[in-house]
Amino acid sequence: MLWIRILLRDSKDLHTDSCPHVQKLNLEGLLQKHVEMAAEIKNLDTDLQIMKNNIVGMEANMEQLLAKITSVQSKSDLVNTSLFEKREHIEKLHRTRNLLRKVQFIYDLPTRLAKCIKAEAYADAVRFFIGSKPIFEAYGDSSFQDCKRASEEAIDLVIKNLEAKIYSDSEPIEARAEAVVLLKQLNFPVVDDLNSILIADNFVASCQVDSLKTKLLEKLEDYLMTLQDEHKETGASALDTLETRVIWEDVTLMDEVLAEAALPAFSLEAARSIIRQFISTSFSHLLLEVSEALTKSQPMPKKGSEESSLQNALEGSKKVVIQGSLDLLLEFRQLLDDNLELLAKLRDLIVDWVQEGFQGFFQKLDERFLALCGKGYIANPDSSVIDAIQVDKVQTGLVLVLAQLSVFIEQIAIPRIMEEIAASFSGGGARGYEHGPAFVPGEICRIFRSAGERFLLLYINMKTQKISILLKKRFTTPNWIKHKEPREVHMFVDLLLQELEAVGIEVRQILPQGLVRRHRHSDSTGSTNSSRSNATREDKLTRTNTQRVRSQFLESHLAKLFEQKMEIFTKVQYTQESVISTIIKFCLKSLQEFVRLQTFNRSGFQQIQLDIEFLKNPLKEFVDDDAAIDFLLKEVIGAAHERCLDPIPLEAPILDKLISTKISKSREESQRYNKLTKPKELFVCSERRL
Amino acid sequence: GRIPSSFPLTQTVKRSVVLHNQRLTAVFLCRRVTMRGASTGIVYGGLKYQARSIADVKADTDHTSFLAGTLSLKEENEVHLIRLSPPGSELVCEGLFYHPNEIWDLKSCPFNPRIFSTVYTSGETYGASVWQIPELNSQSNAPQLEHLISLNEHSFKIKCVLWWPSGKHDKLISIDEGNLFLWSIDTSNKMAKVISQESVGMLHNLSGGAWDPHDRNAVAGICDSSLEFWDLRTMKKTSSIEQAHARDVDYNPKKQHLLVTAEDVSGIRLWDLRRPKCPVKELPGHAHWTWAVRHNPEYDELILSAGTDSTVNLWLAHPPGANDSMSESPVDSPKRPKDSLLNSYTDYEDSVYGLAWSTREPSVFASLSYDGRVVVESVKSYIRRK
Repeated sequence: MLWIRILLRDSKDLHTDSCPHVQKLNLEGLLQKHVEMAAEIKNLDTDLQIMKNNIVGMEANMEQLLAKITSVQSKSDLVNTSLFEKREHIEKLHRTRNLLRKVQFIYDLPTRLAKCIKAEAYADAVRFFIGSKPIFEAYGDSSFQDCKRASEEAIDLVIKNLEAKIYSDSEPIEARAEAVVLLKQLNFPVVDDLNSILIADNFVASCQVDSLKTKLLEKLEDYLMTLQDEHKETGASALDTLETRVIWEDVTLMDEVLAEAALPAFSLEAARSIIRQFISTSFSHLLLEVSEALTKSQPMPKKGSEESSLQNALEGSKKVVIQGSLDLLLEFRQLLDDNLELLAKLRDLIVDWVQEGFQGFFQKLDERFLALCGKGYIANPDSSVIDAIQVDKVQTGLVLVLAQLSVFIEQIAIPRIMEEIAASFSGGGARGYEHGPAFVPGEICRIFRSAGERFLLLYINMKTQKISILLKKRFTTPNWIKHKEPREVHMFVDLLLQELEAVGIEVRQILPQGLVRRHRHSDSTGSTNSSRSNATREDKLTRTNTQRVRSQFLESHLAKLFEQKMEIFTKVQYTQESVISTIIKFCLKSLQEFVRLQTFNRSGFQQIQLDIEFLKNPLKEFVDDDAAIDFLLKEVIGAAHERCLDPIPLEAPILDKLISTKISKSREESQRYNKLTKPKELFVCSERRL
Repeated sequence: GRIPSSFPLTQTVKRSVVLHNQRLTAVFLCRRVTMRGASTGIVYGGLKYQARSIADVKADTDHTSFLAGTLSLKEENEVHLIRLSPPGSELVCEGLFYHPNEIWDLKSCPFNPRIFSTVYTSGETYGASVWQIPELNSQSNAPQLEHLISLNEHSFKIKCVLWWPSGKHDKLISIDEGNLFLWSIDTSNKMAKVISQESVGMLHNLSGGAWDPHDRNAVAGICDSSLEFWDLRTMKKTSSIEQAHARDVDYNPKKQHLLVTAEDVSGIRLWDLRRPKCPVKELPGHAHWTWAVRHNPEYDELILSAGTDSTVNLWLAHPPGANDSMSESPVDSPKRPKDSLLNSYTDYEDSVYGLAWSTREPSVFASLSYDGRVVVESVKSYIRRK
């Protein structure tokens, strides 16, 4: 009734709200509308009334239904309870029967296995055995003891047969792969060698191929069916010979295409990708191993272990490079020797991949080396983010190791690998002749030769730089124009010698000794200036007066003008002596350059003279080229002379006295130091220095 | 006339002193050096003392000429105006002027061929000045340099003076160990005043710098272990290149944002200022210190470096960007144009500190070794080749 009320109110609204408007309308019409509406409302009312009656009737029916359902349910419950016992009994019987069946199966297992073995149905045998395993595990020690033993014997036989199968080359690859899978299922420690992995891989591949094959065949079949249908239709409809001809052509074409898209291609493709992946992962693994060997022994060696840590790093990484490469080659050779039909087809490709692999490996190794030195951006200039190690943090020792390792790779590893490759991986040529062979030992050798030289130079540079900072500090700090009279040898010489000694320790671990034996103060003919700078002359000169020094200065200038340039920048060799003497030469040259940037008063000049005079002997302990050292030291004094307003040198007695004071002082110090710690190396070196 | 000092002269040069108009003009007959084989340089042996500074006279559009200044502690120092004779076969001393102190830095004015600047020391004192070469055909007795401006606001040792390299500009920069000065100069009225100044603080040492030819508000300064960049309007640092122990720096004259440094450890490195984290390229530099490095003014891929190993090296280094597409392909691909050492000029007896390309004749450069020898070489054959 609510509806009606609303409707009424609406109509009332119509009357009141729109009154002025409505009044203008035809009143007659309105009345008419009103009457119609009223009638309608009445109708609605009646309809609703009827509906309500119906619903009431329905309610009664529902109640009846409910009562009926309840009664049915109670009855069925009754039946259920009466049947329960019987059903339980039946279930019990069923379980017992199953158990009996299982027992029967267990008892039959040995015979069954024997049968399987006979029929070589190893898959079934394995399945049966695995199925009964839980029971054996639970009751194997009691009821089924004999049975268990018997079946285990049988399964041992199975394992044996399977193993034989794996290693027998006459078996088809699928069978061998299956054997591997079965052995794995039996938790048998399957020989995890390459062979089995490969077989398994191939099995997977052939499975893929199988599925591809079936798919392809299905597709083909479908197509043929539709074609036939079409053919029938056309045959039935008319004698359109032209169309039949087209279809016939289609079929022949398909025959051709079928031959081309031969299934072996698929299997080949699959095998190809897997072998390729196998080869490339092997190489990246090796790369990782090498850089690990290099960096592992790197972190901050303690004083004591420093002696051999660089050597260890070098030996370790050498071993990884050569042994790792040879191992890889061995594995790849097995791959070729397998004599499988599929692999035989890929032979040329595998040869190429192995060669390519080595090529890429050594190129990447070179890049890795650079990155280890903080020079990664050279190899990979496009990486805007430098994740490589900062140059400052690179340990100089590592650089030296890399230099020597590069030499090893160039001279030993590459020729060896080349031999191996020539022996078992020659041929190839699937790449096409225009590319040439994939592995170009010459190129790799060249890369590592230049890398070795670069690392050696980098090492020398880093060391020189370190000393250069020391020298720079020495020469930029004091006011040389107001220098006081020299009272002692300046301490920077100690720091300089210390640095050189540190270089010596590193170099002795890594580099071989030079062939040239060292002769102290010998008249080496290594340089053109030697004739003019032997020791006796030098000693005499220090005892001369100002005039003589001046003439010496002039003389050295004349010498410079008429002689060939002093060859101080000679090629560095991979020997202890060469590296250390190059560093010393560079440092003395730097010393000269620093001196040239200053202006000295007389005392400043004398201080330089004193320091240089002191350095003469200890430096010659490091170096086999006395003449070069003499020349460079003289150059330093010469430079100081030029840059001095009043260059009067120290008198020889004073010079000697100051130097001997310094020598005895440092001897005392080293003795005191030795009493405290007794590190042999330091003792030896300070002795040598004196 | 002056009697040459007892300092031994380079034996390779025949020297004749010609007096005319009461003005001392030394004409040095020059020869092609054949001493160590391949060298083809033209030698000028007129500098009697040691020397470090040589500059190309940029504003001289009629002649290829250079200015060189000596560095002698005890003798009277000189500035030589050296001209390459028109056929390019000999170097002629066009003018010789006494300079009161030893010259550590000499730069020519880019817009007036007669003006140049020097940085000098005398014992403990130091200074920087702008000079004017007197009219050469005047009848005056002694060719005295006209002193235009003193840049005397410095309280530290002055390192260098920079002119804006790309033409007329009324500003000048001077750098001492602790400060950067921007000057406003008026050469005709002999006036100079400091516009602004920036100190790098006690902990750092400036040792040189370069003015960006593409942006007159940008200057690079060589700090101890970094390269710092300033905006001259605000005198604030805009950016820096860390881990660069530079001795010299030179902007690429053709391409903005690119520059080259000569460094302690790493030889020569090329940088893109938009990516200052790591260098674009690295060249080995010299056996000892790489002292100076210069882009060719015209062919910016040609880079010249001078070193204390008594050599000058000519490098071919393609600036980045030109062949970016190639950078993806590592080894197998056809090699991208390789950066390389084109030539090593070794005909020097001592460290080479002075280096200058000629702006007028970009295939020519002059070098100055410490023993005072100027060698002019042509790189024409390398330009043609590319």
